[in-house]
Amino acid sequence: MSARPRVVFTGMGAVCGAGLSVREIWESVLAGRSAVQPLRRWNAQHWPVGIAAELHGVNNRTLVEDRKLHKMLSRTDLLGLYAAGQAIRHSGVVEHRQGLSPEETARFNDRSGVFAGSGGGTYQCNYDFFPLLTNAKGSMQVFGAEVANTVNPMWLLRNLPNNVLCHVGIGHGFKGTNGCITNQCISGVAAVAEAANAIREGEADRATVVGHDAAIDAETLVNFERVGLLAREALRPFDTDRDGTVLGEGAAAFMLETLDAAQARGATVAGEFLGSGSTTEATGVLDIRPDGGGLISAIRLALADANLVPGDIGMIVAHANGTVASDASEVTALRAVFPEGIPPVTGFKWALGHTIAASGVLDLALALKALQASVVPGIPTLRSLDPRLAPFPVAAAHRTPRGSTALVICRGFGGMNLAAIVRASAPSIGE
Amino acid sequence: MKHRRRIAITGLGMVTPNGNDAPSSWAALQAGRSGVGLIRSFDASGFSTQIGAEVKDFDPHAAIGDSKRLKYACRSHGFALAAATEALQDAGICPEPATSSRWGCSVGAGMMAMPFHELQAVHAVSAPDGEFNPDALWSQGYSADPVAFCRNQSNAGIALLAQHFGIRGYATAVHTACASGGQALGTALKLMRRGVVDYMLAGGYDSMLNPIGLSAFCLLGALSPDNDQPERASRPFDATRNGFVLGEGAGFLVLEDWEAATARGARIYAELAGDGNSLSSYRITDSPPDGDGPIQAMQQALRDAEATCEDVDYVNAHGTSTLMNDRSECAALRAVMGSHIDTVAVSSTKSCMGHLIAAAGAVEAGVCALAIRDGIAPCNANLAELDPDCAVNIIRGQSQSRPIRMAMSNSLGFGGSNSCLVFRHPDEVKAIREREGRR
Repeated sequence: MSARPRVVFTGMGAVCGAGLSVREIWESVLAGRSAVQPLRRWNAQHWPVGIAAELHGVNNRTLVEDRKLHKMLSRTDLLGLYAAGQAIRHSGVVEHRQGLSPEETARFNDRSGVFAGSGGGTYQCNYDFFPLLTNAKGSMQVFGAEVANTVNPMWLLRNLPNNVLCHVGIGHGFKGTNGCITNQCISGVAAVAEAANAIREGEADRATVVGHDAAIDAETLVNFERVGLLAREALRPFDTDRDGTVLGEGAAAFMLETLDAAQARGATVAGEFLGSGSTTEATGVLDIRPDGGGLISAIRLALADANLVPGDIGMIVAHANGTVASDASEVTALRAVFPEGIPPVTGFKWALGHTIAASGVLDLALALKALQASVVPGIPTLRSLDPRLAPFPVAAAHRTPRGSTALVICRGFGGMNLAAIVRASAPSIGE
Repeated sequence: MKHRRRIAITGLGMVTPNGNDAPSSWAALQAGRSGVGLIRSFDASGFSTQIGAEVKDFDPHAAIGDSKRLKYACRSHGFALAAATEALQDAGICPEPATSSRWGCSVGAGMMAMPFHELQAVHAVSAPDGEFNPDALWSQGYSADPVAFCRNQSNAGIALLAQHFGIRGYATAVHTACASGGQALGTALKLMRRGVVDYMLAGGYDSMLNPIGLSAFCLLGALSPDNDQPERASRPFDATRNGFVLGEGAGFLVLEDWEAATARGARIYAELAGDGNSLSSYRITDSPPDGDGPIQAMQQALRDAEATCEDVDYVNAHGTSTLMNDRSECAALRAVMGSHIDTVAVSSTKSCMGHLIAAAGAVEAGVCALAIRDGIAPCNANLAELDPDCAVNIIRGQSQSRPIRMAMSNSLGFGGSNSCLVFRHPDEVKAIREREGRR
């Protein structure tokens, strides 16, 4: 087999209701604090569902310093650019580039990829047309004639799903291979997988990857509620009383590099990307196969890609979104893949809310933290394991991983499943 | 040298402003017939631009014949299902229970777009005075429709395609604005080479020809305002060009392993031979005047195909008909190909078809496959006076009959994502293999 480059994490950034960095979010999770609270963004007093994991107390300038950009960015972009900036700073690649010759710099930029996983848009962005609709009083002719006087000329640019991709590129001069994935929940983690594969295949030497979303949108909430996906008071994965998920908002980002490039510049390596697998269940937007079929294949593909067997997995970060069907089929799938015993399982949405396109990347970042700390964080909202799912190794208390690799599961609308496997710390250890 | 999997294009399908299938679209492009006209699907008479390249007389029920499925499809998803159906039928292969997990799907999907009547309904209950009142969404006057919710998800289109055709392997939807379709095909190529799947249904779909989409581009001043001569409005590389024409549609290709396709006796249009993908990192809507960014994409694509620019006989340019894009693209073509560019036939089929945004790269990939099959470089309509800054060999007037060994297709997006794909004639593949065999 030809030796394909190994891909390592050399920078991390994150933001969500639970904190303004991977470390803050990790500490919040470890302390058992959840960001899920009564909604504050709008008055939800009369709403049947009034909880979300909102990010509070952070103004736009904290997220993106350059005020000129604000009129061209929506909230999801601000979150994404914040996390990406952190990951890039943390990695030290820009400082490294400063020491290169002009020719080396040009090559460095052409070999620096950027991948984003984006929520793709909100209902809310269309509301900028509401004053115009009111003024037009049903006349399309007036609507067309007045649009330039009523709506921000930058409206489209503010709402491009690939905004974070372009602004990361422009802001840092990265010009390599790129992609922006809009595949609902799995967008972010699919961006990580595609970036890692681009590096393995020699298309780039490094890549910035961001997953970002701002799903706490009134109409989205109404619709999630209407299709029965939202929890009333807390997100309780795998619990007897689980009644749905909770919407969140946030972003997470990584700098991925070849191991050789990271070692050559003396970078600190936070972990290694070992493999991934992805499948669709072909069941339409909302339905999930109860037998976990698509997820089973995705995990087995990830194991094969990582050249590992189930016994090598030290812990699992489950999708654990708290809905009746997803949690149950996830347990079924894990039982099938790990007949000899499932390693300790946790999930993070109880604390972060479901950040949709960002969720898988946040989970990956926290998985690396968990492996580094050798702690599988407990799920405090779990009161009693659903007996239909028992036995299943989840707990309210912290546990210890049984090895140094983590399997991270991400699932989404459209029957999408993505499984990724990472390992913490310097890959030279234990080789 | 390491053996790399070769990828064959064995089926294609299109729904375009020029025709509701690939043969009729291709015939119109060869004849230089424009699909642009005054917008008919809504009253655009108040807008600064009132023209567009609409898909005409499209009946999704006739094309797909599954009313239940179509309830979950918005306009562009209907195009996608029809074009994908045509591509699979054309290839004579489709996912079966035994092969479904070896099929993947990669699409360039348009922006999440709420249909205008749904926006009007939300406006009527929640913002009659223009100010959004969230509480009204729980009022008796409004009932969120779960089917509409499904239609509006960012991955609704790919979810429908996977479900309709029974695709259970890798599925991915990309959105890099106007580069989406090209990047989706590039992703498909990489997935197949890596062995993640053995068959791909890959393409793009989009429809922004609605009051919000038209507003968005009018606000940016990106559209040609030539309402009195719609068929002449899209004139890439012409000195008097003044913006692009917004179009809609879908294009899909079926990709297979070359050996497998040959073994089953499939008709092969062309090899999807190389992909190049770069980021301009210049400005959000402006193109770098020197072609930086597109240059790297084209160079990569040629390298990836193990080809040189001398192998290229036809370039299907991005050629949007905006001032900046066309200049930047020509600068890039000259930088990459040097004087060879003077012998390469170049055209932008957007001159007839308008700009299909996220679908553009996918439809134009299909055009390149057909150009190779028929040995015809389709014309660049409406070129009267060549912009001296676009001094490349544009096919004016009539389409040209000429053998096409390799074709190149560019897709350059808002935000600076650049995609370049190159396609190789099956005879050229044969010749390469014979040379390899002799060594």
